[in-house]
Amino acid sequence: MQSISASAEANSAKGIPIVRCEGISKFFGGVKALDSVSVSFKAGEITALVGDNGAGKSTLVKIISGLHKHDEGKLWLGDTLVDHLTPRKARVAGIETVHQNLLLCDNLDIAANVVLGEEPTRFRFGPLKIIDHHASREKARAQLDRLGTSLPDLSRPVERLSGGQRQAIAIARAIMKAHRLVILDEPTAALGLRQTEATLEVIRRVAQTGVGVILISHNLDNVFAVADRIVALRQGRIAWDVTAAETKRETLVAAMTGLLAAPAL
Amino acid sequence: MERKESGFLREHGRNLGMLFTLSCALGALAIFSPKYVTFDNLVVVALQMAFIGIACLGATYLIISGNIDLSIGSIFALTAVVAAMLAKSMPPLVAMLLAVLLGGLLGLVNGWLVWRVKLSPIIITLGTMAVLRGIVLLLTGGYSIRSVPKEFSVFAQTRLVGIPMPVIVLILLALSLHFLFTRTTIGRHVFAIGGNREACHAVGIPVRRLVLGAFLSNGLIVGLAGVLTAGRFGSASPAFGVSLELDVITAVILGGVAFNGGRGNILGVLLAVTLLGVISSGIVSLGINPHCADIIKGVALIIAVVLDQLSQEARERFQKNLAKSDR
Repeated sequence: MQSISASAEANSAKGIPIVRCEGISKFFGGVKALDSVSVSFKAGEITALVGDNGAGKSTLVKIISGLHKHDEGKLWLGDTLVDHLTPRKARVAGIETVHQNLLLCDNLDIAANVVLGEEPTRFRFGPLKIIDHHASREKARAQLDRLGTSLPDLSRPVERLSGGQRQAIAIARAIMKAHRLVILDEPTAALGLRQTEATLEVIRRVAQTGVGVILISHNLDNVFAVADRIVALRQGRIAWDVTAAETKRETLVAAMTGLLAAPAL
Repeated sequence: MERKESGFLREHGRNLGMLFTLSCALGALAIFSPKYVTFDNLVVVALQMAFIGIACLGATYLIISGNIDLSIGSIFALTAVVAAMLAKSMPPLVAMLLAVLLGGLLGLVNGWLVWRVKLSPIIITLGTMAVLRGIVLLLTGGYSIRSVPKEFSVFAQTRLVGIPMPVIVLILLALSLHFLFTRTTIGRHVFAIGGNREACHAVGIPVRRLVLGAFLSNGLIVGLAGVLTAGRFGSASPAFGVSLELDVITAVILGGVAFNGGRGNILGVLLAVTLLGVISSGIVSLGINPHCADIIKGVALIIAVVLDQLSQEARERFQKNLAKSDR
């Protein structure tokens, strides 16, 4: 897997997508959750993944993050064909997911949450590793700055923060490790207007740093506000895959609801 | 470096409150029972508290990780009894070491059961509590283990500059755990697991190993407390540690450790142990019926849980208001 991250820089320069699905299908019992889906995700691009409940969005994302194994088709990470992707392999390859419930530790402070599991350490006595608190804060600060998030006091417990700030912390943690692709599952679903705006700005910043973004959202306003490309799934198939600029809202809705046949892809 | 916005009072309010109560209790004792507040008597009080205090440290570790072990009273008794029995046929130090390791093993078994069965640790360790107590009674036939060689008691009865060894063990252990909690990745991750176990899984923290480690440490620490107690008395009774879990959980929760895990500090637990120890021995010294101590302990536990719940509700209200102000 080392080769994937090592050659990834070169790949994105050559325009090779970070993740490429080719005719991927997935069955759950007799149900076909994904039906020969072909789609790719590129560095620095925000791809909105839309579709009704049960359209196959989360199945697709779970295959990309290694949680499910596809039954048919080919999955490429960069120029490497991956036979069996595990969550660990996906993580090593620089793919991280920010779940809808954020998975933050409310009892820990901001810095601790950002660096959770990747704490900078100073010494080591056997299994005892001494945390470098100063470096932790610096590391967290650097990640949050990258997102343009201003949180003055990193020693505040996360529970005392607003939804948008919590979202930013979850994204900051994800992109610390996700040097290739970050998957955001409904990042604005629980947020108010102002916080949503701030989160969308964070998402733009992530893409500007060269990381690919998959944005799962039901909110088409948000989708049109940030996405470079819109992919719609319907009944396990790709119903739409066009740049956002060329997409009209009505046609997208029609594609999502099946009133419109998929454009020739 | 960022300034700490959270006030000193909010962070240490509870500990200051306990310190204040403790001073009041000692002040009252100094007036009404002057013989209580002498060095010699305070050393005895400290010695009595030391064993519960040591057991509290293990429980603190475990409860912060979001788990609990109700069988500590039975582990305490079993390790004490086994150490005393073994000491009759082998060097006492080896016997003590083996008994402590047995405590660790029993803790690990509890941890494994809790992990594997994924059921409330309260129910599972309630079961092991009964099983282990039964084993203690079978081993001893209900009688104390006596006529243990004198060397068995040397360690627990030694004093360094007037301070009994169990008190020194308590202090050293408390310092080590404080260091573990505040400085190391293991401590950070134990708090994180108590805060949000799923999040720890997601970022690749070895949750299983850490939770089993917490149960193991708890078993070792309780085993140490049991062995030291047997050493102190030079004998081991099958009634050792009955309702120890109640005393320990009372002190730990009163000391500010959240019952759901993720919050707590060693200093708070030590203060709570001291406070409860002074109250129960002070009552005797004042000539009040000692059964009142049980009532006070029970009330203290309820107050602690109420405080815990109220601060939890305050946190939730705060978050709700935050969410509202955003919309």
